[in-house]
Amino acid sequence: MSQFAIEVENLAKVYKRRGRAPVQAVDGMSFSVARGAIFGLLGPNGAGKTTLLKMLTTLLEPSSGRASVLGYDVETQPLEVRRRISVVIQETAVELFLSVRDNLLTFARFHGLDRATALRRADNVLERFQLIAEADRKAQDLSGGQRRRVQVGKIFMVETPVVFLDEFSTGMDPILKRAVMGLLREEATRGRTIVLTTQVLGEAEELCDDILIMNKGREIARGDLNALKLLSQNVYKIAMTFDRLPDGIREELAQTAPMRVEIDQNTIEVAYKEDEASVLEHVSRLARGRNVLRVELNGASLEDIFVELMKETHL
Amino acid sequence: MSALTAVMYREGKIRATNLTFIFWDLFFPLGYLLVFGVAMSSAMAGPFAGLGANYNAFFLAGVLGMASFGIASNTSWSFFLDRDNGIFYEMLTYPLSRAQYLLGKVLFNVFIAMLQAGVTLGLGAVLLGIRVHAALLPLLAAAVIGGTSGWFFFYAAFALRIRRNDVFNSVTSVFYFVFLFASSIFYPLDPLPAWLRRVALANPITWQVDVLRFATMGSGSWKQITLEGCAFIVFAVISFFAAVRILQHQE
Repeated sequence: MSQFAIEVENLAKVYKRRGRAPVQAVDGMSFSVARGAIFGLLGPNGAGKTTLLKMLTTLLEPSSGRASVLGYDVETQPLEVRRRISVVIQETAVELFLSVRDNLLTFARFHGLDRATALRRADNVLERFQLIAEADRKAQDLSGGQRRRVQVGKIFMVETPVVFLDEFSTGMDPILKRAVMGLLREEATRGRTIVLTTQVLGEAEELCDDILIMNKGREIARGDLNALKLLSQNVYKIAMTFDRLPDGIREELAQTAPMRVEIDQNTIEVAYKEDEASVLEHVSRLARGRNVLRVELNGASLEDIFVELMKETHL
Repeated sequence: MSALTAVMYREGKIRATNLTFIFWDLFFPLGYLLVFGVAMSSAMAGPFAGLGANYNAFFLAGVLGMASFGIASNTSWSFFLDRDNGIFYEMLTYPLSRAQYLLGKVLFNVFIAMLQAGVTLGLGAVLLGIRVHAALLPLLAAAVIGGTSGWFFFYAAFALRIRRNDVFNSVTSVFYFVFLFASSIFYPLDPLPAWLRRVALANPITWQVDVLRFATMGSGSWKQITLEGCAFIVFAVISFFAAVRILQHQE
């Protein structure tokens, strides 16, 4: 038995469009995902994340290359793959005319759960996703956020060894999102492999053991957070809070060629890709003659790495 | 098997959420007989006297064929609704094959069609005095089952291929117009102009209705309905493979 839950080899997808140039959505990707890992696929809009996920979940046929889930080929053994996965697609997907409880029970039925187990798990999911009051309401009467909760809740009805989530937190409030992230971590601890796509970098930073950054259908970086941080060595982030925002600070910062600048009231956040001594010089220069209330100097966050990598691949 | 019953369970759950669906599913063919059939029976007693039956007895096969067609069209609409809800794509990741997905839907349709046929035959006998040949009831059941399946696969292929529901709506309207009126549903083919008779003879709904009519009132010959029955089976099988293929290539 392979130690990998997912193995991808030179996988490509070209969308052929009548009368227009074909689009290479995924361009020869190769990677593997360890069993029980939380694997994050990151990339800007149009990077190819969803297309890649669709191929892994048997929704799309690859144009070339191969991919397998738990040893089963997605193209030649799609049913075996589907028996081992549960998927949260990017679009909200619920049975509008069924109650919240029936949405969960119907999903369980497809996965072959007996009624008693399904009812017990449905109660559990309703509680965890704060849907008890909505249990008997039809999904069509719920808000968009509540529908998304029902959709994400479904994956906790079953015990498929691999779970795919395409931007699962869309429409979720921060408290629920945090709770769901906790649940996903629990599932991974129990041995389920979680594959998620996200554009919320903080989410990936907090959740993923293993991250793959892609752009234009190709891998541009891969590894755990520390490995990715190494890729972007010498990226530092300075946060300074002044008693009041200094005049002309934007222009002053622009002259120092930072990677990224954010100004919020009297606080500036600047990221540089320079050696440590030069960054300290920036700190010293920015502080000179000004009343600084707070200074923080940190290594690169995933967001900084992401911005840097995107620049390198000419986003 | 559990995949098929899961699809049927889902379809049943959705249909059971609305009383209008249930009423329509069960009584729509009988309603046609009671209104259109009775009216035509009165208005055209003369022309149908030669068939040795009233119009209701003649129209019973037509109404059952039309019901197969109607169920198929309505169920195919649900693909658009499911696509809009996103659930269509999620379902394609469930542990069932594309063929099982379609077969589960068709089994549910067949279940509804058999209930419809039972209600129509029973109440048609009580309210309109329509009698059918008891010995041919298995043939009638086979024609309802085969017809409902064939038409569903045929419509499903279009519903899965066409992405816009307004386009599908137009296609459905054309299908209703062509398939229902250029067929033996409403009238015998013999008095029709030659060109229209040729079109009707090439129409799969004529093949199904002729089998149903043989089973209900004994018109036609075994040879003719065997030929038409086989032609319809070929039509249904081609439609099934077309629908599965299109479903496998959803992007």
